[in-house]
Amino acid sequence: MSTIAADTAAPGVALPPLVKEISQRKIDVYSGVKPYSIHTDEAWARKKGFRAPLAQAMMSTAYVSELMTRFVGSGFVKGGAMSMVFIKPVYVGDRLTVHGVVKERQAEGSATRVIVDVWCENQDGEKTAVGTASGLIR
Amino acid sequence: MEQFKTLSYDVLQVGETFVSDTKLVTPEDVEAYAFAVDDHHPWFLEDSPFGGPIAHPTILANQALHLRHSRYIVRAGLHAKMEFEFLEPIRPGMRARSRGTVVDKYERRGKPYMVTEYVTEAEDGTVLVRGRFTQMLFRD
Repeated sequence: MSTIAADTAAPGVALPPLVKEISQRKIDVYSGVKPYSIHTDEAWARKKGFRAPLAQAMMSTAYVSELMTRFVGSGFVKGGAMSMVFIKPVYVGDRLTVHGVVKERQAEGSATRVIVDVWCENQDGEKTAVGTASGLIR
Repeated sequence: MEQFKTLSYDVLQVGETFVSDTKLVTPEDVEAYAFAVDDHHPWFLEDSPFGGPIAHPTILANQALHLRHSRYIVRAGLHAKMEFEFLEPIRPGMRARSRGTVVDKYERRGKPYMVTEYVTEAEDGTVLVRGRFTQMLFRD
């Protein structure tokens, strides 16, 4: 995977995207297998109106966390932030691509906060989650 | 002894507080999380700039998201929004818990939502993560 230097990346620079294959086994490990779960009980998911079990939306925040940790490093782990809105379900079998584009750079004390527009997109090109994430360059 | 009720918009009260159980973060938890989200960054398994391995910043997010399960039976819900501030690294070997407060509930387009603010903190009181999330409730 190529890398982009966070200390110099200007607004408009795209981060190397991540691709995530959503399997039932990964959902099971993430959410814990339970009856009456739209994530791990297929019959219950269908009863609640979904065509298949859903990945927990929180999994998408983990993907954005990975994108940002690779970009900003320790300044995301300590000092990072994220704000996401989940706009479409992510189903088992989906293939998500996680994108980020540098939005702005702001001075914060002696550090610089790098703010990134982030989103997840499914195999049909539909956005499933959108938001911003940021980290500190010290 | 907790008395569990089935969660509904009418039963839920703004201002309600929740506290999770304390969770020991184990190396196996970190490995399982790495598998689940397919993120095998070496900081989580070997060494990091913080000295020793750390856990994924979001590893305890479900502890917070499940706060309402400490008092309610929740048959289904959808996560609508999530905000995090990552203040300190989470490390294997830490014991952590989350505390949250329901700060709002509202209906939009006929659907009920609840909003929770929370902190996840280490046993010594260090705040690791602060956040806020919005969940849609299902009507039966």
